[in-house]
Amino acid sequence: MKLPLLENAKNGSMPVDLLDHRNDPIGAGAQCGAAAAPMPLRLPADGEQYRFHFDMTKCIGCQCCVVACNEQNGNPAHIRWRRVGEIEGGIWPDTSRMYLSMGCNHCLEPTCLEGCPVDAYTKDPLTGIVLHSAERCIGCQYCTWNCSYDVPQYNAERGVVGKCDMCYGRLQEQRAPACVDACPEEAIRIEIVKVADWRAGYAEAANAPGFPSADDSLSTTRITLPVRLSPDLERADAFRVRPEQPHWPLVLMTTLTQTSVGGFCALLLDQWMHSARVVRSAAWASLLVVAIALAASTLHLGRPAYAWRALSMWRRSWLSREVLLFTAFAGLGLVYVVALWWSGGLAMLFGLCTVAAGIAAVFASARIYIVRARPAWNSGHTLAEFFLSAAFSGPLFAALFLPDLQRSLLVFAAGAAAATLLEQMVRLLWLANSDVFEMRATARLLSTRLRPWLLARAAGLIGASFLLMRPTAGVAWTMAALVLALALEVLGRWLFFVSVVPKSVASTYLQAREAA
Amino acid sequence: MKTLRGFLGLDTQRDRYAYAEDPRVGYVSAQRAADRWVKTTCGYCSVGCGMLLGIREGKAVAARGNSDHPVNGGKLCPKGLAEHHAIAAPGRALHPMLRRNGRLSPVSWSDALDTMVTEFRSIQERYGNEALGVISTGQLVTEEFYTLGKLVQLGLGTPHYDGNTTLCMATAVSGYKRSFGSDGPPGAYEDFSRADVILLLGANIAENHPILCRHLDANPRKTLIVADPRVTKTAMMADLYLPLRPRSDLALLHGIAHLLIREGLVDRAYIEAHTEGYDELCTFIERYTPEFVSEITGLSTAVLHQVAVLYGRAKRGTIAWTMGVNHSSIGVETVNAINNLALLTGNLGRPGASAFSITGQCNAMGTREAGFTSSLPGYRNFESEADRAELAALWKVPVERIPAARGLAYPDIIEAALAKKIRGLWIVATNPVVSFPNLDILRQALSNLEFLVVQDGFHPTPTSELADLVLPAAIWGEKEGTYTNSERRVSKVNRAVDPPGEARPDFDIFLALAQRLGCADELFPAWTGPRDAFEEWRSISAGRLCDYSGISYELLEEHGGIQWPYPAGSDEAPGAVRRLYADGVFPTESGRARLICGEWKPFPEQPSQDFPLILNTGRTVEHWHTRTKTAGIPILDTLSPRAWLEMNPRDARMLGLRPHERVDVLSARGTVRGIELRVTEIVAPGQVFMPFHFVEWNANAITQSEFDPVSREPNYKQCAVRVERPATAHR
Repeated sequence: MKLPLLENAKNGSMPVDLLDHRNDPIGAGAQCGAAAAPMPLRLPADGEQYRFHFDMTKCIGCQCCVVACNEQNGNPAHIRWRRVGEIEGGIWPDTSRMYLSMGCNHCLEPTCLEGCPVDAYTKDPLTGIVLHSAERCIGCQYCTWNCSYDVPQYNAERGVVGKCDMCYGRLQEQRAPACVDACPEEAIRIEIVKVADWRAGYAEAANAPGFPSADDSLSTTRITLPVRLSPDLERADAFRVRPEQPHWPLVLMTTLTQTSVGGFCALLLDQWMHSARVVRSAAWASLLVVAIALAASTLHLGRPAYAWRALSMWRRSWLSREVLLFTAFAGLGLVYVVALWWSGGLAMLFGLCTVAAGIAAVFASARIYIVRARPAWNSGHTLAEFFLSAAFSGPLFAALFLPDLQRSLLVFAAGAAAATLLEQMVRLLWLANSDVFEMRATARLLSTRLRPWLLARAAGLIGASFLLMRPTAGVAWTMAALVLALALEVLGRWLFFVSVVPKSVASTYLQAREAA
Repeated sequence: MKTLRGFLGLDTQRDRYAYAEDPRVGYVSAQRAADRWVKTTCGYCSVGCGMLLGIREGKAVAARGNSDHPVNGGKLCPKGLAEHHAIAAPGRALHPMLRRNGRLSPVSWSDALDTMVTEFRSIQERYGNEALGVISTGQLVTEEFYTLGKLVQLGLGTPHYDGNTTLCMATAVSGYKRSFGSDGPPGAYEDFSRADVILLLGANIAENHPILCRHLDANPRKTLIVADPRVTKTAMMADLYLPLRPRSDLALLHGIAHLLIREGLVDRAYIEAHTEGYDELCTFIERYTPEFVSEITGLSTAVLHQVAVLYGRAKRGTIAWTMGVNHSSIGVETVNAINNLALLTGNLGRPGASAFSITGQCNAMGTREAGFTSSLPGYRNFESEADRAELAALWKVPVERIPAARGLAYPDIIEAALAKKIRGLWIVATNPVVSFPNLDILRQALSNLEFLVVQDGFHPTPTSELADLVLPAAIWGEKEGTYTNSERRVSKVNRAVDPPGEARPDFDIFLALAQRLGCADELFPAWTGPRDAFEEWRSISAGRLCDYSGISYELLEEHGGIQWPYPAGSDEAPGAVRRLYADGVFPTESGRARLICGEWKPFPEQPSQDFPLILNTGRTVEHWHTRTKTAGIPILDTLSPRAWLEMNPRDARMLGLRPHERVDVLSARGTVRGIELRVTEIVAPGQVFMPFHFVEWNANAITQSEFDPVSREPNYKQCAVRVERPATAHR
């Protein structure tokens, strides 16, 4: 990425004295008394960076910053890189309603950047600004799940994400960011922060009611709170929690890859137990399923043509690792099938490798969702859910092709269904009794709006485990069981996606939370 | 639909999301880079912010605050920042439309105006000249108000002409006239930055005039007192917040006056030199003891003392108000009581000392000064023979043609239409179907008309839908003229783009009508543009309180606004801050200001068993009035997409209602259906609040026909309602 500010600073073509008051009122500024400069008067030195300062005691919730930001960046109304939220507390007439204005917090440890599979993010070494490149972005939206503040905004029309860059382009011209410039109350400013000091003592000044914890990514925004803060301040949007987007390609992708990996495990087990017999059709079918799943997953991308780029950040991003491992799973599986033609022993070796890649891939897949910004996903329950899904649908799938093992596979699947049900019940209790607002909100969604679906799945799982224990068997019967299992898992995965309540800065009362 | 390239992600609309370099504002979205910037003044509220409108290829693409302007120093509210979108917003009126066989269909301008003149003349022939009514606005430029006033009163020959300003600041006008002898807010915004004590009464400036907060912010030593029944954004800024009961403001003011007099905190010298009626006031005010006032307002006697002492001891005290005071059936008395306090303490005509009516619309002041509605142009009185004679001489018309009494006020025009005394109505740039109280009555009145003309920049609006003839008008950004803001600052408004379709500036429409009425040569000799009207208005205003004679378009452009009075030949700098009554001489017969005794009364519709809650109405910062302009601006509509009803948690618990639930609000007159409930401690138990902007949740379906007897302003702010879950409620 081109970093002209840095380059200019290095080659001395840019004055190190940045800016100031040139956009600040002349008339009323003079009339209304001189205010401090809205921006620092120099570039950050080594070990320093720029950050926002938001003064809650000054903000009147006028939304000027939001409008100015959208005007500056030409964004449509539903995509807002800066937002204003409300928090409220007290008892009439001692009521306080405060406002939060937030762009990007230009974190010390940006979770958006860490998760990005294509290296679209950069933390500018000179200013500390977290920059995003629309050119590199493939629209996987993983950053939107990783950010605890809901900062990166996906623009479906473009197929890429965008976010606040502190008006990097304006900074280079020694102009204040659009939000700073527009604020009639001078509640938003740019400051320089010493990174080491902030790392040591951010907790005091980076946290505020209605604002997710700065621990997640070490947000750098400094917030000035009123001296006397109402103790019961609560976010104004707490009463409205809407289901998130289902991400259908991902529902299908995760469910089918798990079926495929589970199926492959059963297949290998069969080969190990009956080394004389080889069932190529099962292997081919598993590969077909994983191919469909991977193809489906590209439909989730805003820019499917650049899906290959997702392989590049495997050192850092679980999403890259997932893509890499599933690709390896499919590739090794193919080698396994080919090897079956001439050597059982060699094939067995490749088969083991395939299974290992598959299990690792499901693990990577689950790890994608284990992020601080989405508390209901951020636990071992996600791992359990994904592996149980493989254990439930995989054996049923394999049973279609392995008549000898059919009985045991069906019983195994019955056990997995029962375990899934138990796991889901434990998870719901865990969510409902959490101290975390977002987790309780997920439990509330599941037990109110989504309850019919939750109950349908539970009933399905109970029914499935009883039916699978029955001694009757046959291809048609197995097929029916598989269809039921897949339907239940798709439903479960859909619930997984729509019931998550992401962390986010509080919004206003009338605005629903933004969906990722 | 996405193209295949878009679907694959090969096309990310780079061009649309590219950035460009604008010579004035720098690095900015290429969609917003302008090739020229036109200086103008914001067309929403009366704060009167200086603006720059960015134009590229004949289209308005950006709006910015003018950092050289004394009012706003480069800042704007969110409406102003998005104002360029209003010009190209959907729903602009593009062609004259005439109702034929029950449907509005396009017609030529010539046919439209011929039809209008024929219909109006026919009505006047059949029912008399006075069977015609005209309702205008605070949204036009002063030049248009001046022209329209002459056209209606002298050309059409009907006195029944009023503006929507009667729904807005008529109370302040009447109050000023009674206390000081003339309309005209005496203060300047500088008073906010220089006062020791500021009392804001029924004024939620942080929501409605956010840029004024900057002038308060600039005052580090102020004590800010805010009186409002609702804990508004502004209340939360206060050093001392007075959560008084609805419509107890007049009692509060009398209570303060009582304490000022009792505690000797009055300015005897000022009272003796410049006021009359002090003794009567002393007698009258006796009964407004702290105990009595405390009972009415719900404020403790200690707080009343505190307020009286703060204001009484202030070297510079300013009291400012807006619609909380004006929207009242005892509004004029309340304004008089505010003026009383200023007069008793001599807090008038000095920096930081003022009784300040913060106006609503961008040019409500212009119609007060130059219009021909509640007074003759230049604050002249209908009743004054000398004023009439002077005006007739200036206009070179027989004095008999100048009406000797005001015609019907807005609510009375509607009343007259209901009674079929008014048969033809011309509505200019206002939307009564959303803004006038008691919708059913209004609809009935409009349906009684034989011919309704609606002239507006937007069509269809809820009102223009009912019209027999729609005239498409240019809006802000498409025409030239001047606005006057709340502090009497005259600022220039400029034409930056052409009106869409066949829309024409209101000024052109008025002149074209004058031609057809045959009065153009007499009333508007050789006029071609707004400048002609401005030049005549300057001479008409000369020597009056609102003296424009020293102001020219060129000076306005140069100084970004000039406060009147600025007489020709004045040796003051044009940009100097000016106040009225600095010399303590008032335009009354005696030259003294009047201390006025107006009795407090409870508001007319008290809560009852059937309607146990008191409804208050107001605004939100993202929207303007009836949303004809702001509903079509995506960013504003997204930020404030729906109306809501605020209710205290105690009431919600009692009614078993939950946050975000859709509820019905019922009054004796009508119902607002399916409004989203906001359970909040912002409102007191027993009170509810809703914004009045939304036709979909029309607050005026439930408000009442109750008006101030003097100003005729509606008592919007309190009516009795019941809130319930709709019969067909679903979660």
